[in-house]
Amino acid sequence: MQRTFTRSFDALADIYEFAEGILAAENVEDSVRFPVHLALEELYVNMVKYYPDNDNDILLDVTAADGKVSVTMTDYDVDAFDVSVPRNVDTELPLDGRVPGGLGLHLVQKMVDNLEYEHHDRQSTVRFTKESG
Amino acid sequence: MFNIEFGDNGEILCSGRLDAAQCAKAEEFLGSVEGPSTLDFAQLEYISSAGLGILLKTQKRLVANSAGLKIINVNNHIHDVFRYSGFHSIFEIEAQ
Repeated sequence: MQRTFTRSFDALADIYEFAEGILAAENVEDSVRFPVHLALEELYVNMVKYYPDNDNDILLDVTAADGKVSVTMTDYDVDAFDVSVPRNVDTELPLDGRVPGGLGLHLVQKMVDNLEYEHHDRQSTVRFTKESG
Repeated sequence: MFNIEFGDNGEILCSGRLDAAQCAKAEEFLGSVEGPSTLDFAQLEYISSAGLGILLKTQKRLVANSAGLKIINVNNHIHDVFRYSGFHSIFEIEAQ
């Protein structure tokens, strides 16, 4: 199911309701729902944060079947930023060495099964999947 | 929806979903906290990296003043988020 969302953090509640409706209808288990919602938020926030003045909405496509969830997120008129490249995050740093931020894509990469990125004609497409087990 | 308030015993009760849109509420509340504090996550369903940032900022401020945050009743999903973020080494965390 597809739907576009306004480029704003205020859209996060609507995005949650949109995705949760699809996951609930397919009885997707909680261990899959949580990482799907987290990845949706982190990737969406990333799109909003780096192009706050872009007038284009962001397109989300969420499908669920047989316990597997597939998500495609499309952003228009943007430069390339490959979210699938591993992040250099040192999670062993002591408190003194930590600074807030930089964990979002690291968490996405840890918690989804597959993460792909494409960019052409100034259009970014992010795809990820998550299934139980 | 996210809510944060003091409980009857002085603990800080968090509930709902702490996402990027709700961080201002958490930051405002935790910014006024002083001394050793306990965050009760029994009713917190979800946290994203934006929420982690608020926790980290609060922890750094409190530890600099010889205090700190203890986080209790953490659900399995949030526990995973903490584990992947390495938060177990910088917070005292108790699972549900």
